[in-house]
Amino acid sequence: MSTASDAAATFEAPDDLETINRLYRERRWGDGLPIIPPTAERVARMLRGTRRARHDLVANIAPGYGAATVERIAINAVLAGCEPDYLPLLIAATEAAVEPQFNLQGMQATTNPVAVWVVINGPIAQRLGVNATFNCIGQGTWANATIGRALRLVLQNIGGALPGEMDRATHGQPAKYTFCCAENEEANPWEPLHVERGFARGSSTATVVGAEGTMNMNTHAKDAAELARVIAETMTHPPSNEYVHGGEPWLILSSEHADIFKRAGWSKMDVKRELWEHSKMRAGRLSAKEMERARASRTEELGELTADTLLPISPNPENVQFIVAGGPGTHSVYVPCFGNTRAVTRPIRD
Amino acid sequence: MTKRGKAGVAVCSTAFETLGRAQARALGNAGLPIAVIPHPFGSRTRDEVREIAEKCAEQIASLVSRGAE
Repeated sequence: MSTASDAAATFEAPDDLETINRLYRERRWGDGLPIIPPTAERVARMLRGTRRARHDLVANIAPGYGAATVERIAINAVLAGCEPDYLPLLIAATEAAVEPQFNLQGMQATTNPVAVWVVINGPIAQRLGVNATFNCIGQGTWANATIGRALRLVLQNIGGALPGEMDRATHGQPAKYTFCCAENEEANPWEPLHVERGFARGSSTATVVGAEGTMNMNTHAKDAAELARVIAETMTHPPSNEYVHGGEPWLILSSEHADIFKRAGWSKMDVKRELWEHSKMRAGRLSAKEMERARASRTEELGELTADTLLPISPNPENVQFIVAGGPGTHSVYVPCFGNTRAVTRPIRD
Repeated sequence: MTKRGKAGVAVCSTAFETLGRAQARALGNAGLPIAVIPHPFGSRTRDEVREIAEKCAEQIASLVSRGAE
């Protein structure tokens, strides 16, 4: 979309960090952490990170359907501490998040803790210093921390998803402050995520994922079949939106675990198929209420459900998604998804 | 629906009333009638649900007829 929209409002404030932060806190324009004041000068500097016009409308963001212009995204990028170079990436992530299959309306207004995880692929990750190795979804890297934070502020400040008001999350989760990393493409023995999703290897992309949480899996398994089995058993849990709705489970494989699969001669699709097969769960493990919900959601896909039906975690093995990231170690991460959502990838353009 | 001249009422539980009213305002329909049922809903017995549904139907009828006046 390239429709022009209104300019963001401005207001006078004293040139004092504490006072401005107090004002942001009172007006609920932040995420609970201190912000960088988005002065006209800082916003102008941020806007130099893109060739897009200041008042171009990038998206309307559910549930409040506020107009996310380039300028308003830039303001939230300043608040979060982003560098101007990050702005095109943040615009791409915003565009991805409003695609209908992502179901942003559902995610923003749900009681579920779902967070938006941003995965970066392509040369931009190295250029901007987006961490794909040690502690890549933990603290310590400016790009990861501020890009994920800026997207959350866009969703909250422009989309209107304020906790307790339109954001109805029962608990939320720490990843709602920030959740962003790159794929470690050099350590990936297969094609990287963006190539799998139809983009050229040399292009840069942002992928958004509706992530319900993260579950670490520490296993010293050395056999591919055994490794797949223990990962699949981790994915299998009855109070899961994925089994109720037919989800899109995500994994962050460490390079050590990816190499075990690769050395056994498995393709990416082989890994997906094994995990999908071995994570099938007897429907009788669901609570009676979840069984009713699964029937409402999946009868068309699976036919009549009985307690003995083996429920797949997702409609097809292809829905099982993974990236390779993280430092050395025997850990991989299961990222259960919101259920009614599909990840979206958008190219990052200057 | 109301914008198309049809009677429309949203139904939600108390936990989602704030969301419903805020979203109605955001979408330019601040006066959207909302019938509110008690939360939680999923753990109710069939009889309790029936009782809630009967009260809710009265509420819906009242909201629709108020809109038609």
